[in-house]
Amino acid sequence: MHYTIFYGLTIGAILYFISIGLSLTFGTMRVINFAHTITYTIGVYILITFVIFFKWSFPVGAVLAILAIIPIAYVIERFIIRRLYGDSLDYTFIATFAVALIGVDLIKWIWGPAPYPLSDPIGKYLILFDVSLPIYRVLMVISAILLFILLHLFFKMTIVGKIIIAALDDKDGVRCLGINVDKYFSLVFVMGSALAVLGGIFYAPISSIHPYMGLAILLLCFAVVIVGGMGNLKGTFLSAFALGMLMALTARYWPQGAETMVFIAMAVVLIFRPIDI
Amino acid sequence: MSEILVADRLSKHFGGLIAVNKVNFSIMADEVTGIIGPNGSGKTTLFNLISGFFPPTEGRITFFDNEITHIPPYERVIKGIVRTFQLVSVFNSMTVWENLVLSSIRFKEKHVSLRKFFFSSAKDKEIKENCLRALKLVGLQSNAQALTSELSYGSKRMLEIGIALSLNPKLLLLDEPLAGLSDGEISEVIDLLKQIKKNFTLVIIEHKISKIINLVDRLCVMNEGSFICEGNPDDALCNPVVRECYWGKREIS
Ligand SMILES: Nc1ncnc2c1ncn2[C@@H]1O[C@H](COP(=O)(O)OP(=O)(O)O)[C@@H](O)[C@H]1O
Ligand SMILES: [Mg+2]
Repeated sequence: MHYTIFYGLTIGAILYFISIGLSLTFGTMRVINFAHTITYTIGVYILITFVIFFKWSFPVGAVLAILAIIPIAYVIERFIIRRLYGDSLDYTFIATFAVALIGVDLIKWIWGPAPYPLSDPIGKYLILFDVSLPIYRVLMVISAILLFILLHLFFKMTIVGKIIIAALDDKDGVRCLGINVDKYFSLVFVMGSALAVLGGIFYAPISSIHPYMGLAILLLCFAVVIVGGMGNLKGTFLSAFALGMLMALTARYWPQGAETMVFIAMAVVLIFRPIDI
Repeated sequence: MSEILVADRLSKHFGGLIAVNKVNFSIMADEVTGIIGPNGSGKTTLFNLISGFFPPTEGRITFFDNEITHIPPYERVIKGIVRTFQLVSVFNSMTVWENLVLSSIRFKEKHVSLRKFFFSSAKDKEIKENCLRALKLVGLQSNAQALTSELSYGSKRMLEIGIALSLNPKLLLLDEPLAGLSDGEISEVIDLLKQIKKNFTLVIIEHKISKIINLVDRLCVMNEGSFICEGNPDDALCNPVVRECYWGKREIS
């Protein structure tokens, strides 16, 4: 049981990293961003390029992958997502889904369709409550909690953070203050993409790396964002861990149903919450 | 008196619908201009064109003799064109004070400087005074630390006007500032407008003419996207075309 709880925390951490960007992009720009899968996946492939092909150390590869995704995310935002502001939601969904599919093909073309294995870069265990926990996963959970605190401080204490919070409330209102809100949308997008890559880096050694890895996890992250409330940062954090825990518990008793359960939870939330989309 | 804003044959089409139709009009410095007209006559669309939220289908806009037809909304704010919305726009998840600080961070500089990274650095003396001035004008001192979402609609309207004033506008466009308010709140807003008209150039859209008739220096009447009449308020009201278009067969209340 201890292990199940810990496993739930691990999944929660991953879901949290990837969901922040989705939630912020939706909350500020009203774009359902399927292209998020692709920045996430490309980030992981850049990581393995450094770690597997160049045989550089894992932390170096991780930092380089995050740095490399910044210009890529910027270009996607600037030339694709930005054109979708103000369009209907289904249209943004279709357009970004197209970007995701193009990205998948691009990855197959560059790195090939076969999965890559990546091993746990730390490989040591921590004994806690009679269970041995991989230190790598402990770090992952701690990082997610730290990130939550840092983001909270960022949005509470900085001018940039306040502008983004204001844009979540009313982006035209921010324009009316003489602030170029589009610039901050780029920033939110790039930040969200970098955090997704961080999630991908954490997740890569414990899952398999293949061109469709982003699509699989993205649906779960959409569930996190819907349950937590679009653009609600605290809600995203809580719902990521709640759904992660739900997945872990379900997997213990009904392994095939773990993902289904997440969507059942999402449906229940949608039924009982007044629609504010 | 000089013209500060001139619109020249300004039009906006939405598909086949002509919301604003070849409007020529100008705004004089230090004047209060009222725009009235039935629902759907294009008043809000005209504001959206002036504030840059929509590009015009044709025509041009100049502000202090500079063409601004194609510059984005935020740059127009920096040039001094500030607006409020028909449905109040304030930042609900922040306190009243934070709303004003956010609108004042550009007070001294043209652009938000990232050097001032921390929101608390906005506690700078001049910014604080600017916020305080706006807060007093709109009478929300006792609500400064309240969460904006908890304010009444009337107080939110006051805050919205306060935010606009804190931006120190050269031209302030108010889109139906009295809509949705109680009688008490309406007289508060009118008192505020009477007070600020001494220092600011205002354009006020209003649906019910009786409320603003004593406030405006000039009245423009819009119908189906065009100005059917403009001039001093009493003349405009007596104009038979206006009477027929706007009130139909009914009497003026
Ligand atoms: N964004 C828009 N898209 C399509 N039609 C619009 C849009 N905004 C306004 N309209 C139409 O333009 C006309 C004028 O609207 P509006 O300017 O809001 O009128 P008013 O403010 O005088 O009530 C209306 O027929 C309205 O339906
Ligand atoms: Mg209107």
